[in-house]
Order: sequence, then structure tokens, then C-alpha cells
Amino acid sequence: MAVQIKEREHQDVETEQLMSGCEAIAEAIRLADVDVMAAYPIRPYDGVMQAAAKLIANGKMDVEYIVADGEHSQFEIVKHACAVGSRVFVGSSGVGWFYAFEAIAVTAGLRLPVVAICGNRALDDPGAFGTEHNDSLAVRDLGWLLPWAETAQEAMDLALMAWRVGEDKRVSLPVAIGLDGAFLTHSQQIVKIPTQAAVDKFLPKFDLGDRLLHPDNPITIAPQVDQDWLMEIRMQNDQAMRKAHDVVSEAHAEFKKLFGRGGESPFLDEYMTDDAEYVVFGQGTLALPMKVAIRRLRKEGHKVGLVRLKWFRPFPTQEIVKSLSRFKAVGVIDRDYSFGSPYYGGVLYNEVRSALYSLDKRPTIVGFIAGLGGREIEQPMATDIFEKTKAAAGDIKSGDVCHWIGVRS
Amino acid sequence: MSDPKETSTTVEVVYRGIFQKTLAQRICRSIVLAARKRGHTGTAFARYGDSPERNGVPAKQFAVVAVNDLELEASMAKYEPAVVDVSIAVDDTLVKGVESWAWYGRQPIWKPIKKDGFLLVTSDNSPDEVLAQTDKAERPYTLVTVPGAASFAGLWVFKDDHTDYRVLGALAKVAPDWVRLDDVMALIKEQTKDESAVQSAQYGYDAAQLRPVKAGEGTSGHEKLQFDKPGWTTMRPGIVVDARKPGERNPQYKKYTARTLRPVVNFDTCIKCTMCWLDCPDECFEVTPEGHYEVVYQACIGCGICAQVCPVKDCIVMVDELRFEDNQDKWQFWKKDHDGYNKWFEAKSGVSADPKVRTPAARQEGSGNANPSANPTSASGGDD
Amino acid sequence: MAVETHGTGTLPQIKGVKDVPYDELFVSGHRTCQGCESALVMRHMVKASGPRTIVLGSTGCMYVANTTYYTTPWVVPWMHTQLGASGSAALGTAAGLKVLMRKGKIKDEKINVIAFCGDGGGADMGLGAISATLTHKDYNCLVLLYDNESYANTDIQLSSQTPYGAVTTFSPSGSKKRLMHTRWKKNVPGMLAAGHPESRYIAAGCAAYAVDLMNKIRKALELGGPTFVHTLDPCPKGWDYHPQYSQELGHLAVECGIWPLYEVIDGVCNLTGPTRQIAEGRKKRKPVYEYLKRQGRFAHFADEDVEHFQHEVDKMWTEWLIPGVIPFTVAAKDQTILKIDKKPLHEQKTA
Repeated sequence: MAVQIKEREHQDVETEQLMSGCEAIAEAIRLADVDVMAAYPIRPYDGVMQAAAKLIANGKMDVEYIVADGEHSQFEIVKHACAVGSRVFVGSSGVGWFYAFEAIAVTAGLRLPVVAICGNRALDDPGAFGTEHNDSLAVRDLGWLLPWAETAQEAMDLALMAWRVGEDKRVSLPVAIGLDGAFLTHSQQIVKIPTQAAVDKFLPKFDLGDRLLHPDNPITIAPQVDQDWLMEIRMQNDQAMRKAHDVVSEAHAEFKKLFGRGGESPFLDEYMTDDAEYVVFGQGTLALPMKVAIRRLRKEGHKVGLVRLKWFRPFPTQEIVKSLSRFKAVGVIDRDYSFGSPYYGGVLYNEVRSALYSLDKRPTIVGFIAGLGGREIEQPMATDIFEKTKAAAGDIKSGDVCHWIGVRS
Repeated sequence: MSDPKETSTTVEVVYRGIFQKTLAQRICRSIVLAARKRGHTGTAFARYGDSPERNGVPAKQFAVVAVNDLELEASMAKYEPAVVDVSIAVDDTLVKGVESWAWYGRQPIWKPIKKDGFLLVTSDNSPDEVLAQTDKAERPYTLVTVPGAASFAGLWVFKDDHTDYRVLGALAKVAPDWVRLDDVMALIKEQTKDESAVQSAQYGYDAAQLRPVKAGEGTSGHEKLQFDKPGWTTMRPGIVVDARKPGERNPQYKKYTARTLRPVVNFDTCIKCTMCWLDCPDECFEVTPEGHYEVVYQACIGCGICAQVCPVKDCIVMVDELRFEDNQDKWQFWKKDHDGYNKWFEAKSGVSADPKVRTPAARQEGSGNANPSANPTSASGGDD
Repeated sequence: MAVETHGTGTLPQIKGVKDVPYDELFVSGHRTCQGCESALVMRHMVKASGPRTIVLGSTGCMYVANTTYYTTPWVVPWMHTQLGASGSAALGTAAGLKVLMRKGKIKDEKINVIAFCGDGGGADMGLGAISATLTHKDYNCLVLLYDNESYANTDIQLSSQTPYGAVTTFSPSGSKKRLMHTRWKKNVPGMLAAGHPESRYIAAGCAAYAVDLMNKIRKALELGGPTFVHTLDPCPKGWDYHPQYSQELGHLAVECGIWPLYEVIDGVCNLTGPTRQIAEGRKKRKPVYEYLKRQGRFAHFADEDVEHFQHEVDKMWTEWLIPGVIPFTVAAKDQTILKIDKKPLHEQKTA
């Protein structure tokens, strides 16, 4: 339950509240004047739907709130509401996200800027509620923008960015924000809620232009096609995703100007990397225990740092190359798995290696799989990760490995 | 029999979707299996863009025969062959053009046939009559008619009227290097154990009439319909296409090449009941200023519903498409030249335009009207 | 006010064939089969609704055939939706329009929302979503299920709407099994009417009775809230008959009592067309054999198969609480309490 720290005297004063990641997203929904949202219960994302329902019931926001009969319906409902010009919001977790997979695929194909959260949760079977990233990552090829949040503040900020970037006519692609289940969806943190006036400056009205489905704009959306048409349509999606990179940068600069936060880079959050020799690389809340470890190891004289990825899609290749090429070794921590992949590494591991492949001088890149199913990344594990990363420096081939951290045999 | 000079040959079967799907499949498979008998190899495949097939809409299947697996590879994983050696049209109305889907345009039946290739057409008309409805040739080919009316069936009950055997026999006549008559007959014998089926192949071989066609022979009376497809920079984003405008008919897909019969209307006997216009799934009727309903031949696909629902006997009559040279709507003709139109109506339909004349049922034979036995469905035949 | 759930009276009932509007909002040039009754349903559907309409079309013949390839026969705005998503598409579109009008982001006006589905997408995969939508009385939308009794677009596979014994590619007739499909057709409109009392209009129609069908669609759109219409569409490809008989088969389906025409308006059930005449006793039901013998998909039927089919149709007319609509019989002991004086089966004569 969100608790206000400071009394809100006027509507136009920025306030601080103690709230969970889900509740922070609900605030973003309110500030963005979302028109339609569709809910279906599955933990841990559905905290956002519960928080939103309270806001609606108490008259804090006016959104058509539809409880669907399943995730497939849920995502189809908002997709179609978006097509008639509504700003929309939806979300799911784990296998619920997968139940909506068809709708997820076509939403990107249709270039409809649906904004969703994926409360990252391990996939069944076995059922488990803890966080893993495979749900979001499974859609990585389809044309969704995929940012990851570290804090509740960032969750809210990324939601506002999502409507801004996704709805931009140069992009017009859906966005799914990854929120680590429990650690971020449910843990309460201090969050600064911006003013409506500031948000209104940042977020223009949603305008589909001549793609709006309305009797005044006679169009057919998505006729059946064959091999004579498909590559051209895919090409358009590719171009949009390329443009998304620049639009994210633009929006980030505007956001920073208006709200005074967002970090140096739109894409990467670097921690103690200026003089680092060995860094770890990852996304989401795993950055938090790694930062604690970094401070501890620095005291012992190790030159270590962290590069946290904020946008997995569009993958900021140039920024990553520029950043990681400075180091002797990079330990990529995947809170996901990719069975049977090259070197049996996780998804981030293989993408980072691919990005750095053509560099003349490459750091050693070691793979780690940790924290699956919401297992906490404890300090001894963090130390272990840094030690293994450091040990691999200087020998490129020693990176051709993926270590599973903290697993009982 | 000599060995072929080329290393592979490609045959396409052009047919009416669904009605002739099984027929086309049998022909293509038999070509490969017959060639196998002399040690060649081959592949048979459908053009997957045709799928799912729609009743009457022109479709294609292919058979490729090669001297060995290596030579066959060039023809594998292909959507459709760009060039064929032989094209087999199993309905003679297909010579009026092939428009298989939107943006396809109306393509001449000989379009993929190589220079000096063969066009086999099943028909009870003479080669010259068939040629008169075929687009002007761009390069020489040989037209071959194989006797027999178009064989139509449904999905579940095949009409075994030996069309495939006759076609194979004719094919053996024009492509003996690849498809030997003996092999064809042996294959049919194996598959059917039916001597009459074997003899049908012989008959197709004997009765096929060859008519060499020079470049420039044929008709230029058919509509030229061709499209250039846009690219990704001009296609609207978001998979959006413009809607049709009110009063427009889809210019990208006209569909009239799906027709084997077309309706002719006796405006004198029309009682303006609206049923033809109302019940046409393809919106083929336009209302005239006097309240008649005229057929828009650019849109009509010849399903025959209008003729069935019309309450006036012989007011709408379905007639063999090959009897018509143009796609012009006819009400203006009736308005300007009433007697001339009625004579035209009678000549085409074989039915009197005079409402007082009750034409006997015998007119069903030989007038080119909808042949009820064209539909072999239903075990007991009913009244269709 | 468009945001309320009743209509504005702009779609009056059509008096007869001469009163049918001329405007065509689904035009020629769609890659459907010769004799496709589903295409005719599309044509009548938007004729009835008029141009202030948004149509959502789920995957199936009326999507693929109509737009093959990269083209459209639609004058009104149309958008594709997924196979089982017609209910959701209707709901999302209607909700989007409603809130945008309420917030003043678009002009407040009556816009018809129609989402169609085939029997595969509607009666099977998408039944859950349709059911959900029919409970949302705050949104104006019509779900139209066009039933050609198979998954026709994938070259004819059986669905829950395929009649008993019919041949499809998933139920061929062979030497070991004459009938592979022995499930009886699920009663969709009746089920939806019984299960969704807040839906104001649910109907069964057929394009062979075009004016009846168009009026049903208009009633649905005028009453407002979520509504449902189910049409039976003879399909020459799947049913295997010459396309010219499409209208005739539609008539036969109704005249044999196989496909009753009816509507349920605010909980009141009306029979329409020949179905009414049959129920009144003015018209005798034709033997189902008249209908079955015309179609190649029943060509393999033995006498016992025809008898079974007839028996089931007879039951529907003599035993059901409302023929074609509600299949229950009330236990004899409860009939007086419930004031139902329907005789039990063994005491009834067949039609």
C-alpha cells in the first residue's frame, strides 16, 4: 500500500511516496492519461492492476478498466483499443505472458504502440513466482522495445518514456518494461511523483494520424499477404527499430531536462567504471547486490565496476562496444537461460559477445547464470562472479564458458 | 525412344481451384511416376500461394522430371517455375486468362511456356476455336487440344471420367522423350487394373490435335491487367491499405477469370424481383434506371446462383464462357437495340427470348448451359 | 448519446426486398469461392449496418479470401484480428471508442462495432472471449459468427459446428471407419442466449433469408450493448455441391428444421421465418434426407446415419424446451410447479 511521505498540497507539486514498482507504474498510468487497460490475474505483475483499480475507484484517474477472460484476450483488447486511438496499458508475467504470445507477436507486426509491463517471473513447469527474464526475452526478435528497471523510480520513469517513444511516429512500436518479480514489483521504495504539468510537457497526445481506425479514415489494416509483400513489411519494422535508438536518446534528454534524472546515458548505467579493469554486465535488480559487492571489493583494492543495461531492445550496440572495450574482462550475468546456446551461455552473454566480435582488441567475456527463479544473489556469489571474471582476463578463450552461480549439487 | 537432350522438363497444370484439384494432383503425380519407370526422378508440388484454393479460381500445380537427383535440385524448394516446357489447361475457358489473386493481373495462359513449348487444353472445341480466345502469342508454341469437356468435382467425391488418362496420353505424344506412352499405360494398369482406363490414354494420344501457333496469332480482345508492386519506402506503414471507395469495385483483383459460365439476362421477362442482385455474393449486379438488374461481367465469377434464384424460367441462363469475346455489360445494348439484343441472347443461350415460348427441357443438351452432371456430388443425384 | 447502451433509431427495420439499401460497403473483387454464402453474409452485414461502422475480422475465409493478397473489398474501415480474438477485438474497439468520446478526444457519435468470426474461431477457440464480451453491458458491439461448418480456410477441417458424420480432412470416410466425426453440432446461439442474460440480443440467421438476417443485424446494433448473431452459410467447397445451389441449401437447412431461425431480445425468444411456421404447425418439416443427399460431404452416409440425423433433429423439435434454442426437458414432477405443460418424450408424436 502506497504511503505518502509528504502531504500533497497542490496538484502541481512534486511529491514523494513510498510505493512498490507496480504502484509506481500505476502512477505513471494516471499521469499519462491512459484510456484503456485490460487486467487478468497472475503474480507478480498484477499488483499494478490492483493499484490501478484503487485509483479508478477513488476517482484519481479515468481509465476504461476491463477484466479479461485470459491473457490472450487481455492483450487483444488493448491492441484493438490502441488501433482506434486509445492510449493503452496492459501486462502479465511468466506463463501468462506466454498465453498472450500470439497477441504480442501481432501487436509488433501491426506497429501498435501498446505499453506493457512484464513482471518477470519464472516460467512453468515447475511453477515458481521468483524472477527470471525468459518471459520478456522470448519476444526479443519480434519488434517490441524492451527496457529493464532497477528501481521503482526507474519503473515509473520508463513507463512515461515508453509511451513517449513507442507512440512517436518514427517508431510506432510496442514497449514492454521488465520489472523483476517481487524485488521490484512488490518491494516498496521512495519514489518521486512528477507533476501533471511536467508530464503533459513530456508526453504529447497519442495521434495515429492516417492509421487511425475510424469511419472518417477508410483503411483496411492487415490484409492477408504472401511472399511478395512480407519482406517489405518486415523491412519497415526493421527501419522503425533502428530509428527507435535515436528516439530513445532524444526522449531521454528531454526527460532529464524536465525531471532532472535519468542518468548520463539513455542506454547504460555505469557504476565505478572510470578506472575499472573488470566489470560485470547485466540488467534489472541484480545490479543492486553487485554494487554492494563493488564497494566492498574496491575497499580491498580491486578495480571493479558495473555496466547495467537499461534497454535490451533496441540493443545499444555502439554504446556497449564503446563502453566494454575499455575493460580487460566482462562478466555477463544472465538472469535467464538459453539451453543449448553457444557455450551454453545466457541470452545477454551471447548478444554482448556478438556485439564485440569485430573489435581488434576484445575484452574476455565470461558468462554467468545467476538468480534464477528469484534466488537472491548473495555477496559470496557476487565475489565469486568477480573473481572468475578477473581470472579470465588476458585469455579470450577462457570466456568461452558459462558458470552457474550458487547452485547446489 | 531416345534420351532427352535437356536434363529436366517442367510441366504445369493450370486448373480451376477445388473443382479440379484432385485431377491436377493425379496428373502431376502420374507424370513423375511414369518417368520413374524409365529411371528418371522427379517432384510434384502445388503452388502454395494458391492455397487455400477457392472454387473456380485458377490455380497451378507442377511436375518436374529430371535425369537424376542432381539435375532435379534446381527445381526443388521453388515457389513456382518461371518457365515451363508444357502447360496443361484442364478447362478450355482458362485460355481467356489466369488471374489467381490480387496484383497478379490477368496473365495469358501461355505466359510461362518456353519458346516452341506446348499448351495442352482439354476441350470439345477445335484448336482454332480455342485459339480464337487465347491471347495473341508473344512467341511460337504448339496448341494441343485433348478431347473432353472440363471435368469438375468437389473435394470429397472425385469424378473419374478418365480426363487424366487422356491428358497423359496426349502428353506422351508431345513429350515422348520424357513421358513414354508405354510407361503411362503400364502405370495406369498398375494403379487401376482397368483396361478402359488404359485405353483412354491411348485415345488421348491418338485424338490429340496439334496446332502450331506463330507469334502474333490469337486475340487482342482481352483486358490488359498488370501491376507494379510498391516497395517498403512507399507502402503505408502499419500494414495499412486504402479502403475501397463507395461505388468502386476492387481494381486489384477482378476475379472474372474464375468463370466457366456466364449469365445472360432476358430483360423482357425480368420482373424486377431483386433476387439476383440481392443474393449475389460477388455484388455483380448493377441496378439500371428502369429497375432491371444487369450483370457486371468484370466482376461475375459464374457461380450460377442468380440463375437458380430467379423466379422466371429462362430469364437468366448460364452459358459457356468461351462463347463470349468481351466483358461488356449488356443492358445498354438491350436499350439501344432491343431485337438485336434478343437475337444475341438466343444465339448465346440456345433459349428463346420470347416469353410466350416454353422451351422444352431437351435444350439442356448441347446448348452450352450449366451441365448438371458437371457436379457429380451426392450419392443419389437428387434433382441437381 | 453514443456512450449509452441504447441505439439512436438510425437503423430502421427493412420492410422487404425492395427496401434493401443499394449502397455496397463490401464490394466485388474478393478471392472467395463461387457461391460463397459467407461472402454474401459480409455484404449483407455492412449493408445493414451502414457506413458508420468499424469491422474487425478474425482469421478465416472472410479474412484470407477477402484480402488475398494485400488488397481489400471493404469500403468501411476494417482490421484483422486473431483467430480466437473476435470477442476481444469487439470489446477493445468498443471500449476504446467509448472512453475517447467520453474524454472528448474524438467526436461523440454512434459508430457500429462489428467483429466477425468463423465457426472455428468463434465456436471453438474464441468462445471464451465472446462469452466474456457478452457480459460487458457497458459496451456497444456485435459479434457475428459466420458458420460454414468447418475450418474452411485451412481446406476444411472439422469444428464443433461440423454436422454429425460429415466428411472433412480430419474426418475422412474410410474402409475401417465410415464416420470419424460423431459429435453433434454444439448449440452456440442458444448457449450464449441462456448464459448471458445481460446481452440484449442474440439471434440465428441465414443469408437465404436476407431481409430477416439484415433486420436481425440492425436490431442488434440498435439495441446496443454486446450482441451476437450466428449465420449458417452453405459452403460449396466444404459441403461439396455445385455453387449455384447455395441459396437453395440455406432454405433446405431451415425447412428441414436443422437450422432454426430465431432471436432472443431482452430475454424474449421469437422464432422467425419458416421456423415459426413449422412451430405453428403450418409447415411440415422436410425430411433431413432432402438436405443431406445434396451434399458430397454426406455421400458416404448409410441409412442408419440418415436415421440418426433425423432422430436428433426430431428430438430438437419435440423434446427441447424451446426447439432449436434450449435443449432441456423439465422433469415431469416439476412441470406443474414451473407451469410448463410440455409432454415428456414418450407421450409425444413425431412431426
